[in-house]
Amino acid sequence: MESSTQESPATATKNTYTFDSPHPVYAMAFSSLPAPSPPRLALGSFIEGYANRVDVVTLDEEARSLRPEPSSSFDHPYPPTKLMFHPWSLPNSPFSLLASSSEFLRLWRLDSSSVELRSILGNSKSSEFCAPITSFDWNDAEPRRIGTSSIDTTCTVWDIERGAIETQLIAHDKEVYDIAWGDAGVFASVSADGSVRIFDLRDKEHSTIVYESPRPDTPLLRLAWNKTDLRYMATILMDSNRVVIIDIRTPTVPVAELQRHHASVNAVAWAPQAARHICSAGDDGQALLWEVPAAGATVSPDGIDPALCYTAGAEINQLQWSATHPDWIGIALANKVQLLRV
Amino acid sequence: MCRAMAAGAQNLEELQEKHLRKQLAATVRNIQWSYAIFWSISTRQQGVLAWSDGYYNGDIKTRKTTQPVEFKADQMGLQRSEQLRELYESLSAGDGNQQSKRPFASLSPEDLTDTEWYYLVCMSFTFRPGQGLPGKALASNQDIWLSNAQFADSKIFSRSLLAKSASIQTVVCIPFMDGVLELGTTEPVLEDSALIQQVTNSFWELPIPVCSEQSVSSPPLAEKDEDILCPNLECEIVDTMILGEHNLVPDCQAPLESGSPAFPFGSHSYASDKENELIQDKVEELQASICEEPKIDSPHDSSNECCPNQQANNNSFRIERLNSASQVHNGQLMDDEFSNGLHGSLNSSDCISQSFVNPQRVLSSPMGERIKNNVLDSLQEEDFTKLISLDLQGEKSHYTKTIAAILRNSKQLESITCFPCGSHESSFVVWKRSLNTPKPLSAISQKLVKKILVDTVWMHGGLPLKPQEENGLRNKVWKLEGDDANASHVLSERRRREKLNEKFLVLRSLVPSLSKVDKASILGDTIEYLKELQRKVEELDSRGELGEFEARGTRKHPDISERTSDNYGNKEIANGRKPSATKRKACDIEEAEVEHHLFLSKDGPLDVNVTVIEKEVLIEMHCPWRECLLLEIVDAASSLHLDPFSVQSSTVDDNLAVTIKAKFRGSVVASPGMIKRALQRVVGKC
Repeated sequence: MESSTQESPATATKNTYTFDSPHPVYAMAFSSLPAPSPPRLALGSFIEGYANRVDVVTLDEEARSLRPEPSSSFDHPYPPTKLMFHPWSLPNSPFSLLASSSEFLRLWRLDSSSVELRSILGNSKSSEFCAPITSFDWNDAEPRRIGTSSIDTTCTVWDIERGAIETQLIAHDKEVYDIAWGDAGVFASVSADGSVRIFDLRDKEHSTIVYESPRPDTPLLRLAWNKTDLRYMATILMDSNRVVIIDIRTPTVPVAELQRHHASVNAVAWAPQAARHICSAGDDGQALLWEVPAAGATVSPDGIDPALCYTAGAEINQLQWSATHPDWIGIALANKVQLLRV
Repeated sequence: MCRAMAAGAQNLEELQEKHLRKQLAATVRNIQWSYAIFWSISTRQQGVLAWSDGYYNGDIKTRKTTQPVEFKADQMGLQRSEQLRELYESLSAGDGNQQSKRPFASLSPEDLTDTEWYYLVCMSFTFRPGQGLPGKALASNQDIWLSNAQFADSKIFSRSLLAKSASIQTVVCIPFMDGVLELGTTEPVLEDSALIQQVTNSFWELPIPVCSEQSVSSPPLAEKDEDILCPNLECEIVDTMILGEHNLVPDCQAPLESGSPAFPFGSHSYASDKENELIQDKVEELQASICEEPKIDSPHDSSNECCPNQQANNNSFRIERLNSASQVHNGQLMDDEFSNGLHGSLNSSDCISQSFVNPQRVLSSPMGERIKNNVLDSLQEEDFTKLISLDLQGEKSHYTKTIAAILRNSKQLESITCFPCGSHESSFVVWKRSLNTPKPLSAISQKLVKKILVDTVWMHGGLPLKPQEENGLRNKVWKLEGDDANASHVLSERRRREKLNEKFLVLRSLVPSLSKVDKASILGDTIEYLKELQRKVEELDSRGELGEFEARGTRKHPDISERTSDNYGNKEIANGRKPSATKRKACDIEEAEVEHHLFLSKDGPLDVNVTVIEKEVLIEMHCPWRECLLLEIVDAASSLHLDPFSVQSSTVDDNLAVTIKAKFRGSVVASPGMIKRALQRVVGKC
């Protein structure tokens, strides 16, 4: 019985909600509003060129659908490479703050009836040559800080209250593809140079390489730092079906490699409320839920098997796990966005 | 007493202080040296030269400003000098408040270059007449020019070790107005009396404030004068100094006793209340050092050779191996201390490194205990042992420090051990190997992710940007063993890049071009433009007759297709992929022909031209007039964080011509393309 639901994604509709977007979707962010507010998602279109959009949808469990909120949708210059809501939920606040990255970092203020562009953060010195921002991360311990990664090899730490650069570091030898905060003053980044590096803002002279891709110069595309257990981070490699789990206390040797995807992995997300659970999604159209073995546990020579699996039927490009609604995982595949119940 | 004086004359002094600093600034910038310091007779200590004021003009690592980029270079320099002073004061100000770390400093030690450190550390020095370079200059009333300062005997130049670390090569001391003007540079400069002449002359040309009795000039913490211990201590140290010419007077908040003359290094420092804050700052470093297993062979311990009681080797001491800039500095400071038999307290780590010299003492001191406790509190046992097993060579301490910081904040939730395995609620099913044989769905793996990250064509009109410089240089820099020399390479490399970018901006402002921003397009446009100009020159030459040229020129010149393609409604603008040939705009406009052009435009006579030079934006628009249009245009500009400071407009035949000059407010910057589109939207929505 399970196998049949497995084979045909259409039947796995119970507790799976699909939103058909008019455009391909890449960037995706869960709102940080906790229950009883329903899960809410900001979705960035991916249209090559200038005219793009950000749509906001809310889960309506009674209507069994993801309901778009036209008043909170807005035009976005170029496709957003990442979207993120302010990490601190402000339950009584009438508005929410959403950050987006493309050629600049932008902050948007969304309230019930309108959307306002609050600020555009770009390095004015090089505004004429703005290199695309590949990703960013909002520091949830210090929400004034947003760190951006750029293909110009730098990472920039913004003080968004002052609208100014706090620090800019040449972080890697090649394009920086993703960035994640581990602490108010510590972030990690991955790059086309194939390394994961940790930076401590108290000592900007040094970074520490905690992992390097086995074949030199295999770019690392995404990085996820386990916010529940900061010892662990996960990264994915270009053209690889592996998810590499790193323990920052034992750098350079990954603690686990998860390789049960049948094609390249596109996205990873740690469980917001479980220390060792992680979800990965890839070109094989599957979202896999794993439990990373505890430190010291013996792993079978065959490697680690995932615990759960969802088959979407098309390449899953994006994956987000709601921090405030840990029962829900969002995935994006082509023009579709799906909310999956864990 | 100092305070009373300071309060009374505060305003005057502030003024004088400003004047003096400006003069120093003007002087040092004029000759392009790294720094200028004015030493004047201290108000606190009779007959001793102390820091009065200074201006830092050298390399900068991390710039932190509250209003970035708005400053001109000289303001920036003044601000930097002020920030350095603040940092020094905050570092030396240990007021038992442990929680608030350095409340006033906008800079932190890790933001400084070596040269800045040198400059900062100089603030703690004082000289008796005849001692040190400034003291000698004052006593002899003669200029002293010291080349190769970094190799100078410390008897002559007490700061030579510091200078070496900061690559200061030339130092000049000029006796001046009851004080000494000291200038230094990282370049080797041969003695040049004309330069000294120039410096002194230029100084005299400005109105000279009376600065010799400034209490501002007194070393920090005049408040601490109550601390009776300190002046005594200072004297004592001065007296017992073995190398008498080196009058490095420690600050009062690092009280210390001179040890036995035979072992001046053995003098133990103890943690006074005032040091608490400093200690707090360094707790993490200590954690790091304590976490490490003792390893006696510390191969690149820069301090080894200077430390006579190295046989009392101990794990704590190895913290000196830390590679970070500030810490390397500590190392150097220690060198200084050892060679001079003095403890100059310049910053917190000093206190600690001093203590490390004698481990037993550290451990028995309250400070040591405190730190131990802290370690145990903050690290779980498991983490603790893990940290020990880390093997990161020289980077170790730095990284352990980082890890300690991260893990302290770790939530360490109890893991929920099992999933609601395939419950009917879940969208997921239990994974089984046998079920899992879907084929890869697409030939290109990670297609969208790669488009977002790697082939960023969507943003740059077909030209994916590449990092702009060779990787070779930077490869070294961020390697684990990266050292400070490389860091300065990065700096100079960055400066070079910034210069390059600036020049590109200038070029772009000269060459008619639209919203294209990447360098390749700018160069392409420039080439096109030059060719065009050459063609015109040839034409001019061959025709000889002006009239004929004009007739010809107007006929030939407006490539109509190019111009109209620029207008509102053109799809190619919208997706940012115009062929480069369409970007010839500005000069065409300058050559008039606007009317001609207007009639050709299908969407109405509409034309927006935006040029951005640095923070200034020039907007030229021609469009059909309608009510409130001008207002809306200005509003639109304002909403793009533009601050119009000049608006010219005229209406002819229901056509509005507007020229707006504006500045960007704050650091927010919109690209010319964005501005243009926004304005087109305003005009288009009649």
